[in-house]
Parts: sequence; structure tokens; C-alpha cells
Amino acid sequence: MKDKIFGVLQRVGRSFMLPIALLPVAGLLLGIGSSFTNATTIETYHLGKFIYEGGVLYTILDIMSKTGSAVFDNLALLFAMGVAIGMAKKEKEVAALSGAIAYIVMNTTISALITAKGGVEAMAENSTTSVLGITTLQMGVFGGILVGLGVAALHNKFYKTELPQVLSFFGGTRFVPIVSTVTYLIVGIIMFYLWPIVQLGISKLGVLVLNSGYAGTWIYGILERALIPFGLHHVFYMPFWQTELGGSMMIDGNMVAGAQNIFFAELASKSTEVFSVSATRFMAGKFPFMIFGLPAAAFAMYKTARPEKKKVVGSLLLSAALTSMITGITEPLEFTFLFVAPLMYAVHCVLAGLSYMLMHILNVGVGMTFSGGLIDMTLFGILQGNAKTHWIWIVVVGLIYAVVYYFVFYFMITKMNLKTPGREPDDVEPKLYRRSDVNEAKAAKVKSTDKRASDVVSAMILKGLGGKDNLSDVDCCATRLRVTVNDASKVMDDMLKASGASGVIHKGNGVQVIYGPKVSVIKSDLEDFIDSPYSDDPDSIVGTEKASDKIEEKPQTEGAENTETNGKTITLYSHMNGTAVKLEDVEDDVFSQKILGEGAAVEPSEGKLYAPCDGKIDSVFDTKHAVNMVSDDGVEILLHIGIDTVKLGGQYFEAHVSDGQEVKKGDLLISFDMDKIKAAGYKVTTPLIIGNTDDYASVEPVAQNSVSAGDMILKIK
Amino acid sequence: MKTFSYTITDEVGIHARPAGLLAKKAKEFESVCTIEKGGKSVNITKLMALMGLGVKQGDTVTVTCEGADEDKASEALKAFFEETL
Repeated sequence: MKDKIFGVLQRVGRSFMLPIALLPVAGLLLGIGSSFTNATTIETYHLGKFIYEGGVLYTILDIMSKTGSAVFDNLALLFAMGVAIGMAKKEKEVAALSGAIAYIVMNTTISALITAKGGVEAMAENSTTSVLGITTLQMGVFGGILVGLGVAALHNKFYKTELPQVLSFFGGTRFVPIVSTVTYLIVGIIMFYLWPIVQLGISKLGVLVLNSGYAGTWIYGILERALIPFGLHHVFYMPFWQTELGGSMMIDGNMVAGAQNIFFAELASKSTEVFSVSATRFMAGKFPFMIFGLPAAAFAMYKTARPEKKKVVGSLLLSAALTSMITGITEPLEFTFLFVAPLMYAVHCVLAGLSYMLMHILNVGVGMTFSGGLIDMTLFGILQGNAKTHWIWIVVVGLIYAVVYYFVFYFMITKMNLKTPGREPDDVEPKLYRRSDVNEAKAAKVKSTDKRASDVVSAMILKGLGGKDNLSDVDCCATRLRVTVNDASKVMDDMLKASGASGVIHKGNGVQVIYGPKVSVIKSDLEDFIDSPYSDDPDSIVGTEKASDKIEEKPQTEGAENTETNGKTITLYSHMNGTAVKLEDVEDDVFSQKILGEGAAVEPSEGKLYAPCDGKIDSVFDTKHAVNMVSDDGVEILLHIGIDTVKLGGQYFEAHVSDGQEVKKGDLLISFDMDKIKAAGYKVTTPLIIGNTDDYASVEPVAQNSVSAGDMILKIK
Repeated sequence: MKTFSYTITDEVGIHARPAGLLAKKAKEFESVCTIEKGGKSVNITKLMALMGLGVKQGDTVTVTCEGADEDKASEALKAFFEETL
């Protein structure tokens, strides 16, 4: 169970990467834009001449600030969609759509309930916000994650659900947005009653903090960090910054309440000699860990990333670290490890709390507009002078913090093998199945399950469409599977009808197979099947006893039998003019001992290599002395001119085909200067090797003595 | 799961001969062994795919073995790479 939760958290963390990659840019826009449009900043530094409302510079900065802010304001929506995409197993675009819808539905539900209760005024202070123009409860990113996770779970459960025939248009992926809407309507109602209780608890904590001195400052710091992922930090710190909870003070004859207000009043006042730390204790603690600590943590994550991932991870971490350092926007960095390593985040919270307390003890009086980056430290610390602010302690503590963060993170990551960015296991390619997976699947196939039945249908469809390699595109509309194939002549209508289709329509290379409204489920099954290893050989499923039973259940199966290709013999034709040589007699043990596979060889009489069958070029070696191709029947063929000729580095060879090219039997593939190659000391014996020999019952050479290109050379069963 | 990275020193890279030997070596083990280069990962026992990677001198590849005898497989393949490539 613990492992399972941990695994889910890791996937959530990974699914965050998409929206997170946007945050550093948004953070810079917001940080720079808002710092220099802040009325206090402008006034303090007499920038009014250049930056004034309506002026060009102001407008540019304002646009920066607002666009950056738009990303942060809608972060919850981005996470609702991002997490849904990341956690959905298939048909991810449907999950994204459902995530967006569910998020809007949930907030709209809450909004309606707020109105019913008497509007924002009836709610606790700072507990509401506006999201996408909807007045709703302040739930922060937590709201988005709640939606993303739930929708992904619904999606994975229902995206293949079949509904009764009458309603089947609404089945499969179309059912996901529907069920998400209904579910999140209910979730919205629950949250309306539940969330204010959580919020109340948080603001009670605030009172506790205020009454406990240095320790209170520490707790304040820890909580402020710990609440970030839940979006509750605003509920928590805003009262300190903006209300008498953060203290009140008489400045120049005016009563000022709230930590931030006090700081800025002092900043504006000519009579301030030292900034009151009783106010800045709720702010100054951010500087050491945002400017020094977190970037050092990022460096530790970079150092512990796998070597081949460093480049990619480096750019993500560097931009996130710079954002934290310059603007004091830490989410991009914190979210990279929050979900993959919650324990590390907990340590970070404790250290952050300690930073607040140290700033309090050391009497550091630096405030901020909204966060603790270099911009604010410069404007409100350094430029105010050390005498007033004691800002130098930020640097002293900060440097220690950098060392502590680096070693703590480095140690935790390596000792606990935490999967921070660049350390996660590679996403296994869809085709690479573990042996155990295959065995499980085989076992499942033997046992009678629904899964097998749908696989049989999928296998029949795939076979009817001419096999996996014949597919170029698969899609569906309300009732039809719409497929684009490479070769329309390979489509077998009978087989498709046997799979349950009521009709097949051909239009050039386009094929429409009519299944009725249940088609979206059929399509999902088919896609799953195509991703599975069996799809390379649908016969293995269709050809089994069980499958033929299945076929016989259907009335329109006549003709399905004769499409059976099991036991068919595939013939390859000589790739050269010359003399046939047994593979055993080739003077290279890699070939003669059949390490590469069975096959046959030709001692050429002419420097030309031809295609032994119809097929597709998989790859031409850079050195042009060998070609891999796949026949239309799926035989993997290696044609290798000469022995050790790789050492010629391409000299004396000329390729006439390129990777991916379709070829017909007898097409010229490579020409080569036989005499010069021989003169260089190499043999030109040319084996033709079946790379996937294991897939066949027998590979039998049939040519002897002299052969011409196009004569039969191998029979494969 | 066992993983190691290796930078090819052999001047002609993984052409037919080493590919054949490498695939043969990998087939001795029950574990599924894959090789990754430049984001593309293939099963080592699939000869054509292996050759299709076009691994050359100076390329860094990552080999991953997963299965019951992954330790042995990984060691054997590593030894093979060091000796041959």
C-alpha cells in the first residue's frame, strides 16, 4: 500500500512537469513586471518620471506582470488538466478535456452555494477568490490536483465502458467528461462545506504563532511553506501581512496595521532609523532559502541526475533556480521535488522555518512586495543601507544555507534513492515488454476472460486490415472505424465482417469498417492490442482453437478460413548473380555459426545487390556495405556484402536506396566495385541472413551452384 | 533493474558482427536487455533493431537488464562491451 501511494505520488510529480516547465517564464514576467509597477517601489526610487500609469514602459511592465500573473492565477486549472493527462493511461486528450470541465463544474457549484449563502461577505475573510471569473473558495493548486487525480481515476475506469445499445453513442471516451461533470458537481458541494473548516483551523494556527515569540516565527515559517501545495498559504500569511494579527504601529501619526503595511509605511517615512523586525519577521526569512538554499538544492538535484539526463534536467533546474533566486518565486523548483520526494519537502519546510526565526533573532528588517528574491532584497534591503536593515545577515545565513541545502539534498537523494528529475526510470517504450508481462498476458490468454475475447476481435480486425504494418492511421467516428492503409488490396472484408462489422467501405486507401455506436470501445481495444507484442502476429491469436470457435459463432464467417496464413511458405529470391554458397561455408564464424541467424550466401560474379523480395528498407549501414530490410511478410533480412568490409568505411560502395524506402523484388539496392574491394584484401561473399529466424519453423536454402538474381534461394516456413 | 552506460571506443561501432555476438550474449539470459541511444531504445536480441540504431564510435549507449538474472546479464554484457566495443 505504501509503495502504491509512493508510486502514485511519483507519477503525479512527473505529470506536473508539463505545467511546471511554464512557471519559470511566468515567474520572471510576474516578478520583474510587478516589482517595477509597484507604487511604493516607484515612489521610493523616484522612477515616476519614467514609469507612470499610461506610459509605454509602465504598460509593458504591466503586461509582463499581468500575463505572468495569469499563469499563476490559473495554475489550478493547468494542474487539473496536466495531472489528468499525466495519470491517464490512454486517450489522454479526453482526460485533459474532462479535467478542464470538472474543474469549472466544481468551482461553479461552489460559487452557486456561496451566492445562496449570501455572497462573499457571508464567508470568512480571505477565504474566497475568483477563478476564471468564478467566485469560489480559495483552494489553490490543491483544487486542481483534486480534480486531476479524480478525473484520471474516472477516466481510467470508464474510458472503455460500453453502455447499452440505445445509449452506446455516449459510451467509451465520450462517457468520461459526462461522468466527470456529475462527480465534480457532487465534489463541489462537499468542498463547500468541508474546506471552510480546514481554513478555519489554519487561521486559528495564526493566533497561536503570534503568541509564541521566536518559536512562533519558526512555526509561522514552517506552516507558510507546508501550506503552499494546498494553496492555503494565502489564507495563512495574508492576515499577518495585512491585518492587526501581524501587529500595529503608530508611524508618523498614523495607525498602521499588518506586517507588510508597517514595513512600507516605515519605508515611506523619513523618520525611520531601523525597520521594525516585529513586522519583517513575517517576511525576511524568505531571502536566505530562496536566494541561496533552494538554488543549492537544485544544484544537488543536478549533480545526482543520471549523466545522460543532465543536459535536459539541467535546463529545467537552472531556470527554476534562477527564478527562485531573482524573483523569489519558488513553486517551479519546489514542485520538482515535492511529489517525488515529500520527505525532502518536509525538511525544506523545517529549514525555511528556521530561516524566518534566524532573521527574527538577527534583527533583519527587510520587507518585500510579494516574495524574497534578489529584486526585493536589493530594493528593500541593500539600497536601504545595512544600518537600517541589517541585510548583511541575509548573505551570511544564506551562504550557510546554501551549503546545508546542498548536502542535505545530496545526501537524501543518494541515500534514499529519491527519484528527483533525471533519476526516474526511463519510460519504457510501448514495444518493450518485460518477459513477466508477456508471460502474464499469455497466462491470461489461456484462461477464459473478457479481455481475451476483445483481443481476439482486435486480432481479427488487425488481420483483416492487412496487419500492423499495413496501417497508416486509425480513427473512428460515431459508428465507423476509419482506417488509412498502405495497401488496400491486403484488406480482407470477410475477416473484418467476422470480427463483428456490419459492413466495409473502401475509398482508395481509406477503409471504413462499420461497427455501430460501440466503435469507440472497439477502437480503444484495437489500439491497446496494437501496442501489445501479439499484434506482430495476429495469427497466433486468431489462429488458435478458441478464436476459430469465436469465428464460427458468427453467421458470416464463410471465407474467413481461406485467409489463414499459418503454414504458408515464404520464398526469397537470390540477391545477386553468382554462385550459391552454404552459410556454413562462409569464411566468417559470425555467419557460418549462424550467430546472426539462418540464411544463404552468394559469391557474386557482378558488383550488384538486388532486393530478394518485396518489402521495405529498414536501414542502410552508414558504411553502405550492408542493408536491413523487412519483407512484406515480416521477414527481417540482413544483406551483408563481403567479409569485414565494414573497415572500408563506405569506399567502393554506392547505395541506391535509403531508410524507409519501399522496394520490389529485384530492385537494385547497392552497387559496389568488386575488383577494388578484392584488391583491398576483402572477400565479397554476400550472406543473406534471416534476423528473426526464431520466429519461423524452418529456413531452408534451396539454391545450389550458379544462381541468377531472382532465382529462388530460400524457403521459409 | 540493472543499468550501465558505455561509450563506444571501437572504430566501426555496432555493425553486423558485434550485433550478432551481442544479441547472442543477451539471449543467454532470461532478463530482457535493452539498449538505448539518443532516446531510442531497442531490445538487444532484436538484431535488425539493434543494427538499426547505428551505434558508432564515440556514441554513449545505456544498457538496461531487467529480470530474474539481471545482475549476471548486466555483468556479462558490460564485460562484452568492454572487450569488444
